Amino acid sequence: MNIQGSYKIPAPREVVYKQLLDPDALSQALPGCEKLTPNPDGSYQAEMKVGIAAVKGTYQGRVEILDPNPPERFRIRVNAQGKGGFLKGEGEIILTGSEGETTVSYSGETQVGGLIAAVGQRMIQAATRQIVTQFFQAFAKQLQQGSAS
Amino acid sequence: MISESFEYHVPKTLEEAAQLIAQFGDEGKLLAGGHSLVPLMKLRLASPKHLVDIARLDGLRYIIEKDGRLEIGALTTHYRIESSSLLKEKCPLLPQTAQEIGDVQVRNKGTLGGNLAHADPAADWPATAVALDAELKAVSTTGERWIPASEFFVGLMTTSLNPGEILTAIRFPLLAPRTGDAYAKHPHPASGFAVVGVAARVALDERGAVETARVGITGVGATAYRASAVENAIRGKLPTAKNLELAASHAAENIEANGDLYASADYRAHLATVYTERALATAAERAAGH
Repeated sequence: MNIQGSYKIPAPREVVYKQLLDPDALSQALPGCEKLTPNPDGSYQAEMKVGIAAVKGTYQGRVEILDPNPPERFRIRVNAQGKGGFLKGEGEIILTGSEGETTVSYSGETQVGGLIAAVGQRMIQAATRQIVTQFFQAFAKQLQQGSAS
Repeated sequence: MISESFEYHVPKTLEEAAQLIAQFGDEGKLLAGGHSLVPLMKLRLASPKHLVDIARLDGLRYIIEKDGRLEIGALTTHYRIESSSLLKEKCPLLPQTAQEIGDVQVRNKGTLGGNLAHADPAADWPATAVALDAELKAVSTTGERWIPASEFFVGLMTTSLNPGEILTAIRFPLLAPRTGDAYAKHPHPASGFAVVGVAARVALDERGAVETARVGITGVGATAYRASAVENAIRGKLPTAKNLELAASHAAENIEANGDLYASADYRAHLATVYTERALATAAERAAGH
């Protein structure tokens, strides 16, 4: 499944880029993020509670940041599993900005499988979009609170 | 599969239910007809630790005309709405919608409130609720409020109900003279969910042109929505086939349509225009005869 979209964050590009690649900042920003620990090879091990409304599950996965090009872009690869199914994804994140505002554009391919994909097939696209949006909303909120303090 | 274990509670009053649901927070879920929640639990996609069964609460099952509107208790089943002669006369869009839901078993147990609160993107009631500007009553331990339908559906399966709030009643406007209702749906052949569902109410003026049109669409986006582009396009025009087709062409405008194995996003958007045209045409015909 192809996903793409963008989200505006009221902060300069350099700050957004740095925070996006900071595991401590991320693990605080993401609701339901239980763990985000770096591996020796530079990738991260993540454990997150993800879901919408009553349908929530815990997923473990590996996150890799590839081809980092601060403060403009990077590629991200995710491989996660949980009781509800699995998610594999690879995408590109591009940051464009003017003054104190950054537009984060994402585009990539995802594969969702297992139980949630089988019974929730009709909602997978909308659910993925909503989860990505929720992520950016929480991330932006965390950035603003961080800069306010 | 069977569900994970849970504690089962049967409050005797609405107040007790509100207290319990506030107490359990994230770990509690309300149970009404059960035909949305229980399948999720059996698949273990949802595993609330506490179920608060309100299905037998008295006083939340009614259909009355009050203060120039129709008020329906949240626990009223789709079947009761489908078979209500009061509604067939005073707000036919409600029984028209109810009769399209699921199947007989679902209609016998499923409730108006449960369906709205669950906010499935392919559920039928949300289309009708937004089309008619329904008002939804939410009650909690700290008070009560009426939420306009336009503010109720905020995201995929997400409503603006706060944690601890219970949906208890829904108000709808009466059918006025020279007005007609219709609900047109393309059901998924297996699940019966709306691939596209369109609720329409059309009011005509003295020369037979459309005075106002109300169109609510479900199944297409992450939530049901008011198709205002369609409504604006048909206002003031005679409901001819050509005018209706043109107006209906705006049905999925600016909406990120869902795509799945049964229907791609493009196909869904196309279906939206087809069923909007049908709903408008039927509603206009009925308005002329009313």
